[in-house]
Amino acid sequence: MTGSIELPQGTLDLILLRALLSGPQHGWAISERVQQVSSEVLSIQQGSLYPALHRLERRGWIKAEWGISDNNRRAKYYELTRAGRQQLDRETEAWRKLAIAVEQVLEGA
Amino acid sequence: MLNDFRYRTRALLKHKQVEDELDQELRFHFDQQVAKYMRSGMKEDDAKRAARIAFGGHEQVKEDCREARGTSFIELTLDDAKYALRQLWANPTFSLVLIATLALSIGANSAIFSVIDGVLLKRLPYAQPERLVRLFLSSSAFPKFPLNPWDFLDFRARNRSFESMAAFTRSDMQLSGEGEPVRLNGFAVTSGYFRVLGLHPQIGREFDFQAEIPGNGQQVVISDRLWRTRFGADPNILGRKVTLNMLPFTIVGVMPAGTEHPGNVYHALAYGESVDVWWPFTFRGNSNQRASHFMEGIARLKPGVSTEQARGDMNAIMAQVAHEHHNGGWSVLVIPLYSEVVGSTRRMLLVLFGAVGIVLLIACANAANLLLARASARQREIAVRLAMGAPRLRVLRQLLTESLVISITGGALGLILAYGGVRALVSLLPADFPRAHDIHVSAPVLAFTFVVSLLTGILFGMAPALQASRTDPKQGLQQGSRGATASRHQNRLRSALVVAEVSLACVLLIGAGLMLRTFLNLLHLDPGFREDHVLTATLSLPHARYKSDDQTIHFYDRLVTTLNQLPGVETAGAGSDLPWTGYDENDGGFTIEGKKPPAHEDFHARYHMATPGYFSAMGIPVLEGRSFTEADKKGAPSALIINQAMAKKYWPGEDVIGKRVSFADNPKKDDDWMTVVGIVGDVKDEPNSASAEPAFWWSDYEVSESDMVIAIRTKSDPRQVADSLRSTVHQIDPELAVADVKLMDAVAGASLSTPRFTFVLVGMFAALAILLAGIGAYGVIAYTVTQRTSEFGLRVALGAQRKDLLRMVLAQAARLAISGTVLGLVLALSLGRVVQTLIYGVSAADPLVFVSVVLLVPAVALLAAWIPARRAARSDPMQALRTE
Repeated sequence: MTGSIELPQGTLDLILLRALLSGPQHGWAISERVQQVSSEVLSIQQGSLYPALHRLERRGWIKAEWGISDNNRRAKYYELTRAGRQQLDRETEAWRKLAIAVEQVLEGA
Repeated sequence: MLNDFRYRTRALLKHKQVEDELDQELRFHFDQQVAKYMRSGMKEDDAKRAARIAFGGHEQVKEDCREARGTSFIELTLDDAKYALRQLWANPTFSLVLIATLALSIGANSAIFSVIDGVLLKRLPYAQPERLVRLFLSSSAFPKFPLNPWDFLDFRARNRSFESMAAFTRSDMQLSGEGEPVRLNGFAVTSGYFRVLGLHPQIGREFDFQAEIPGNGQQVVISDRLWRTRFGADPNILGRKVTLNMLPFTIVGVMPAGTEHPGNVYHALAYGESVDVWWPFTFRGNSNQRASHFMEGIARLKPGVSTEQARGDMNAIMAQVAHEHHNGGWSVLVIPLYSEVVGSTRRMLLVLFGAVGIVLLIACANAANLLLARASARQREIAVRLAMGAPRLRVLRQLLTESLVISITGGALGLILAYGGVRALVSLLPADFPRAHDIHVSAPVLAFTFVVSLLTGILFGMAPALQASRTDPKQGLQQGSRGATASRHQNRLRSALVVAEVSLACVLLIGAGLMLRTFLNLLHLDPGFREDHVLTATLSLPHARYKSDDQTIHFYDRLVTTLNQLPGVETAGAGSDLPWTGYDENDGGFTIEGKKPPAHEDFHARYHMATPGYFSAMGIPVLEGRSFTEADKKGAPSALIINQAMAKKYWPGEDVIGKRVSFADNPKKDDDWMTVVGIVGDVKDEPNSASAEPAFWWSDYEVSESDMVIAIRTKSDPRQVADSLRSTVHQIDPELAVADVKLMDAVAGASLSTPRFTFVLVGMFAALAILLAGIGAYGVIAYTVTQRTSEFGLRVALGAQRKDLLRMVLAQAARLAISGTVLGLVLALSLGRVVQTLIYGVSAADPLVFVSVVLLVPAVALLAAWIPARRAARSDPMQALRTE
């Protein structure tokens, strides 16, 4: 997993919410998916994944339900709520602004 | 927000389910990861290891998830508490000792705090009590003296410091009319007395200024208790006529329940709801005659006026009054009511509180010690938890929760003990103890107990918890069962704790020793009278029936004569007062023939009266001359009896019998003089008074006094004559109440109750302290013996004698005990000043007490070390080698 970088502070929530946009997922799948989609660059520390999910659930941005996984086991599926979608929009926009600003600073220098 | 609340509530209420789900979720993740690794070609074991590494500390992740739930604080505490209870249950002896010692010491603290709360902390039951002050006069001869009624009137008229002022004087009343006549505790009060206190009658009114004028005074305000018990709580009681002191009085008011007496100094009555009737004080006689002092003053400061300002104001007025009436030499004392009420007991209570606090400190040290010992036994368990990824803070918290569970359980049990203890304490209290009825296990006491329990738990739990959480998981796991290496630092800490315990116990033992000696000194003191086989009672002749001196004299003469003839009676007499009952009527300004008083001072002495039989009935010896006789009646040459203290003070080295004293303003004729006919032994005011005051007695056959005490010395049990006393009195006057029928040894015993109380309590605390210190010493020694089992075994194998091992262990105990004792003696010496006012006839550095403690404490420590020392001496070399 060389070449992967730690997530910057505060972006974990954004990434988790985005990962759930395509539909309900369980924790393991979320972490796999983030890794794949980011071409193995982003890796979520597994130790921080679950506390973060539980925190999002408490805030009401995602909700959890028990379902059956592909290999026929009981797994906890997380799903975006309406409040979660709004939060995702807000955070995405904030992130884009930040990224553009940082890019401009880097270009301009 | 709502979602958040719902989420947290579910996490709390369905705690177990939530935890299970978390577990499943994490296991699912783990299994997926393992499957993934296996798909990439790893063997199952390798895959599992890799997954574990990728996952990080399982416990840590769970912990973080709980944190994220936002309920971790409560959940963790509940978890820790459950875990702690299991731990305690698993070691019942350990837990029992720990909880029992804490319960005893916290309970003792709560009980003493109940007393402090009721007596010192609770507000006095009056409106704005901080503005209430008591007024007294003071002179060089009499540091605290009652007011004169006319002076009071001038104070009231001229002062600018007080919103209101009142004076009162104890004046009991006899209620007759229906059934057996009863003596009621009463006070004659100036108008506005209740207004000063901020109290109002529940029915009717208090006295107006008209009531102070002679002829208007036959009205009365009664207590709620009297209203209920004697008058059936009749709502139409106002205007009812009752017979008090054989005169008709009109009831004008009923005070509500909870009307508490603010206390009085002269003829003192207990605090609390002890007064039955209040009636108007009427100002009679000549306002220029200001020598008689018997009123107690109370006043309410104007808002913003300080006690000092009031004192300045009053003394300016006193100077004017002195100028106008030639009664100089007095200054005015203005004492806050609170200080007046609690003043005498405050020091004693604070010393007791200190003593019981020391007991708690010892119990803390003890608990810390036991926990330290157990912490080393639990090193493995803690190492395992740390290795599993539990954060150190979490382990620390877990251990602290354990000690809190212990201390709070101890506190709860202690509270139960305190409930019983407070009841016992109150029954032990001296009869004149202020505000005894206010002592309960109240809300502040509950809060105090809770806070003390928490602090105790933190105090004794911190060191062991820190120590244990510092365990190095690797070392802890490797160390195996011996666990000897890491604990040198710990051993030092534990020894220091034992030394501290022993030194504190020494302080308490020395305190208890001093109190014991004080008590014994007072007990074995020659009181100057013989209290055995004496029955006493008080009588009060109402002026309505006994108008003239002759009638009063005749009554007491007849009564005493009849009593003397009763079977079983040795002698009977009457007098103005009994020894040791706080009587301090004084007379100053008399003339001694051929002597001049020192500049700016009067001759003065205690003033008493007695019938011929009084001295022999009380067992007060006549040292020179004679006692009164039947011949000392009105008309005969006036006879005076004085005590030894007066003889020594005014006629040092002289033959006093036959000397003359006059109480007339300007003695000229022979009739103005009284002749000293006898000298009696000294009796102090109170058993612990420094010395006896000069005193003299007038013959009761010359001057009459309506209130007298009767003393009857009997051949056998004095209780048997109580009935004959009543019937004799009622034969002479069926409407007289015989009050305060008591045995003189009970009267004398009551005056010893304060030193007895302090001694019993400090003694109990000291016993508890030395027991705890003993347990502490035992714990440490036993622990080191276990640690050194193999060493001892080796020594035996190498030829050491068993008695050498015994000596080694005992020497360790002796070192602890001696350091503790030395430290304790130094502490006790430096604290000596604190108890100075509580001890009598013994120095705060009493050698006997100190030597006894020096012998006792190390002996207890050695005794405590004996059992582990014996075990060490029996060390089996084979077994020692096997544990290696």
